[in-house]
Amino acid sequence: MNPPVTEKLRASLSQGKWDQAVAVLQRLDPDAAADLLMSLPFEQQQLLFRRMTPDLAAALVAALPYYHAYVLLHARPVDEMSAIVDRMNPGERLQFFDELPEEAWQRLMDELAEKPPAGAAREGGAALEELPAVSRAAPAEPIIEARHIEKSFERPDGGQMQVIAPTDLSVEAGEIVALLGPSGSGKSTLLRILSGLTPPSAGDVLWHGKPLAESIPNVAIVFQSFALFPWLTVLENVEVPLLARGMKHEERHRRALGTLASVGLEGFETAYPKDLSGGMKQRVGFARALAVEPEILFMDEPFSALDVLTAENLRGELMELWTGKKIPTKSIFLVTHNIEEAVLLGDRIIVLGRNPARIRADFRVPLPQPRDRHSAEFLLYVDYIYKLITQPELQPGPPSERPAKIPYQMLPHARPGGIAGLLELLNDHGGREDLYHVAEELRLEVDDLLPIVEATALLGFAKSDKGDLEITPSGKTFAEADILARRTQFRDAVLANVTLLQQMHRALTSKSDHAMPVEFFRDILDEHFAALEVQRQIETALHWGRYGDIFTYDPETDRLLLDQPVSSADAGSARLH
Amino acid sequence: MAPPVEPKSLAWSPSSSLSSLLRDLPIVFAALALLFSFLSLARYWASPVTAQAPIQLNPGALPRYALFSLARIIIAYAFSLMLTLVYAYVAAHNARAERFLIPLLDTLQSIPVLSFLPPVMVSMVALFPTRQLGVELGCILLILTGQVWNMTFSVYASMKSIPREMAEAAQTYRLSWWQRFIQLELPYSAIGLVWNSMMSVAGGWFFLMACEMFVLENHDLRLPGLGSYLQTAANAGDTRAILWGVVVMVAVIVLMDQVVWRPIIAWSEKFKFEQVEASQTPHSPVLDLLRRSRILSRTVRATVAPARETLTLYFGRQHASSRGGRGWTKWIARLLSVAALLGVLYAIAKMTGMLAMLSRPELRSIFVGAGATFLRVEFTLLLAGLWTIPVGVYIGLRPRLAAIAQPIAQVAASVPATALFPIVLLFLIRLGGGLGIGSIVLLLLGTQWYILFNVIAGATAIPTDLKEVCDVFGLGRVERWRRLLLPGIFPYLITGFVTASGGAWNASIVAEYFRFQNQTFSTTGLGAVISHATDSGNFRVLLGATVVMAVIVVTVNRLLWRPLYALANTRFKLEG
Ligand SMILES: Nc1ncnc2c1ncn2[C@@H]1O[C@H](COP(=O)(O)OP(=O)(O)O)[C@@H](O)[C@H]1O
Ligand SMILES: [Mg+2]
Repeated sequence: MNPPVTEKLRASLSQGKWDQAVAVLQRLDPDAAADLLMSLPFEQQQLLFRRMTPDLAAALVAALPYYHAYVLLHARPVDEMSAIVDRMNPGERLQFFDELPEEAWQRLMDELAEKPPAGAAREGGAALEELPAVSRAAPAEPIIEARHIEKSFERPDGGQMQVIAPTDLSVEAGEIVALLGPSGSGKSTLLRILSGLTPPSAGDVLWHGKPLAESIPNVAIVFQSFALFPWLTVLENVEVPLLARGMKHEERHRRALGTLASVGLEGFETAYPKDLSGGMKQRVGFARALAVEPEILFMDEPFSALDVLTAENLRGELMELWTGKKIPTKSIFLVTHNIEEAVLLGDRIIVLGRNPARIRADFRVPLPQPRDRHSAEFLLYVDYIYKLITQPELQPGPPSERPAKIPYQMLPHARPGGIAGLLELLNDHGGREDLYHVAEELRLEVDDLLPIVEATALLGFAKSDKGDLEITPSGKTFAEADILARRTQFRDAVLANVTLLQQMHRALTSKSDHAMPVEFFRDILDEHFAALEVQRQIETALHWGRYGDIFTYDPETDRLLLDQPVSSADAGSARLH
Repeated sequence: MAPPVEPKSLAWSPSSSLSSLLRDLPIVFAALALLFSFLSLARYWASPVTAQAPIQLNPGALPRYALFSLARIIIAYAFSLMLTLVYAYVAAHNARAERFLIPLLDTLQSIPVLSFLPPVMVSMVALFPTRQLGVELGCILLILTGQVWNMTFSVYASMKSIPREMAEAAQTYRLSWWQRFIQLELPYSAIGLVWNSMMSVAGGWFFLMACEMFVLENHDLRLPGLGSYLQTAANAGDTRAILWGVVVMVAVIVLMDQVVWRPIIAWSEKFKFEQVEASQTPHSPVLDLLRRSRILSRTVRATVAPARETLTLYFGRQHASSRGGRGWTKWIARLLSVAALLGVLYAIAKMTGMLAMLSRPELRSIFVGAGATFLRVEFTLLLAGLWTIPVGVYIGLRPRLAAIAQPIAQVAASVPATALFPIVLLFLIRLGGGLGIGSIVLLLLGTQWYILFNVIAGATAIPTDLKEVCDVFGLGRVERWRRLLLPGIFPYLITGFVTASGGAWNASIVAEYFRFQNQTFSTTGLGAVISHATDSGNFRVLLGATVVMAVIVVTVNRLLWRPLYALANTRFKLEG
């Protein structure tokens, strides 16, 4: 970015000279202006955006990420919105509309068609009058800053497996950072590095500018499994970290009781964790974390082990504490694999890719709290994230410096039954559907849905495109076929597209006894995956291979046997023996 | 109905004080009895050496002997506990020490008690040449060598298996080593430690006869106690005295079970690492009594609680002010490891020198003995399996029967087989069988329980729905065993066999060689070789035989049991 321009803009903002700031933006080309605008706090963006001429606003809407442009657009009254959209050049306007998910697009159309209410314009005008000068001149320094951190673990065959690719990341005061990514992508590992539990294999982590390893960071972690000590009472559990800080009995007691009350656990002091429900246990987990008044509160999938209602409840209470500033915590770092949870809570969302983990996107969600799951803006973000994670080519950022060897094809962990179910649903919906709608309809979390989507794509039955899933002709045939025809079609698709099953099939057909120990393939996979992943790959391959009548599996001997009567040609050759 | 309001701090109504006094009475008596026993023990230990105390066979002497034996076992256990905690802690926390300590533990575990006798005794007597204390300490250490290893292993394994997120919670919240130990590691290890302690103490009773009366360098050493009483009675062929001794021993064991182990087990229930309340929990009236006692709770509040608080705060502050290990502790650790290394090298050199002097007939007797004991142990395990599997499954599948049978079997198992040896032997000799068959019966008596308990536990744990599925499909008896019962109990069975196998090798030293009615009965076997070598002071043979036994036990563990164990934990695990 251009430092003098940035300085000039900041200076005008801090003096309350909004028009001057708009003029600075006006002089830049739209892409640079969009970048500069995005670097400001959202409130300032909104105020600036309201002051712009429709022409500048239109140029910026085209240059900004569409989800952000959509939210900014709504900072202006409807008639002005309409004017801005009119000023966009037709190609860009079409692209902007095209990228919006159905709800958001629909709402925008409705708004633009509607006559603006009489008072709306004046209201907007009134808002324009009271423009405060911005007190905070420069952005605050980050609490935690990770520079080029990497992490590798040992593979079963002794080699190194990189789990986290070189990553830069910082956490600043006043924000909830939601780290989103599929399971096994390295979220927890990243959290462990940032919270000082494990050192990175390379790179530095700074805590207020000093190396983390040499500081005593005031952080706390809320764990998915609660990690309470079952032999201690609720009160004693909360006192554990206070005792570690050498706090004397009375003060410790008082602090623990106060924290317990703030999470709604009054009267449960003498209970043991095993007497409590999951939600109550996690409350104790929160109380233990909040008792130390951490500067950053880390949470590793804190709601994953809870049922939907309890989780929703607890999220609400946490947000009440946070937005009501009832806790001195400066920042929250939340790890989750649940897209809605990330959009619900995060001020900033970081999306991780996997193998190895690397930041695919890092953006702000400027929606006010509490957020409405069904609002168009909310769905806009949900849709955007789906789009992001189903499209590997949408990766931002430079390619990694050293050309990695081509990774071994990784089977998505989907059952054939799931694949068939998804295709049937898609076919019933006319062959194309938004992914978050599919997730909702099937009542699947993204973690369970994504492998199925990937599998249909891998087998050529469907393709995902901008957050939508579209069935292919072969997918349509599959969805409409009977069970036997499905299995044959599945077999052909698998043998055409799946490396591991191709290898298995080739090995089985070429061996004279048509049998092969599974261990052989485990050894092959050991060179490419971690132990747990090897097991999952084998499991998935067994499901697929058996469904496609490629082989049978004998668990007693742990061997694969070629399935003889698979097709008429094979049957014919079998008869010759 | 409501009593008049009294000032809270001085609520001392006569009725409540009387009832609380009555409740505390047993505890007060117990404390006085303890004090008295301690005084008499102290007087005895400080007395000059009387290595050959005459053992009186009249029943009136038994309470005193029982007290002495009990004290030895308790003290040995206390030392075992300390050693266990230190050893397991170091092994679990220091990766470099772990690589050396765990194989060492494996080896020590496979060395029979008697092989420790000469070095332990000689060094202890040298330490306190003029007081009874020296011989006593030797005997206590001997008992310790039979108790400590499995406890150490259990604590080590527990500490290593602490769930990752709990350990991470301890790390993030910066618990000092002390707080982490007290609030996380020790509680997490508690259940395993309690069960292994019970087994260890039972082992102490088992080897009591061997530990209290033995020949060392032509000195016939005997310490007054139940073990030596039984041994002497057996030597004299006094059946009545043997019976008295056995009765008293069983009484002591049952009493210990009620007064010590049951309360501890019931209390340790709170360390169970499960997130939901179990439906059935062990229960102990003695524990209830202790819990309700005012004196006790006041004493605890006045002593233990403040001490714990002070210690934890102290270590917490120390931990907060220092980061990383201090220089001098590292140096001490380095110095210690160098010293240990030198010691080991020296010991190895000495050992090889001694082993090189073994004569050909001695070598032959060792290897022939090893073969014989190997066959005997395996045969014993086979026999034990043959009867315990069907019986255990039968009991385990019937919850009501299991509830009755389990306590009975526990008492039966807690009677040390060694105490019954004389009676069994008498019977066998009358029948005309020698120690050849006798030793197998003795080994069986000592080891079958481990398998039985585990089979019962395994059969109880088979999920009901699986049993119902078998009924629905109308599986025949054979199919049922093949498809459900055997796979279901397999992991438990392996656990039982591992313990029984180690126990049987160790027990061979008392089963294959027995002094009875002034004769020595023995049969071909490694245990007999070891016992004989101890008796005759032949250290070369003792060392050689011990090394062979350790090698065999460790090898069998590594090559047979451990793979089976791994198999049991992967393929045959019933997820429920
Ligand atoms: N201590 C470890 N040793 C070896 N591999 C590990 C270790 N911790 C995590 N991994 C591997 O790193 C990857 C990322 O794990 P994790 O950070 O737990 O993912 P997430 O939290 O996103 O599910 C996984 O493939 C996992 O198997
Ligand atoms: Mg995780």
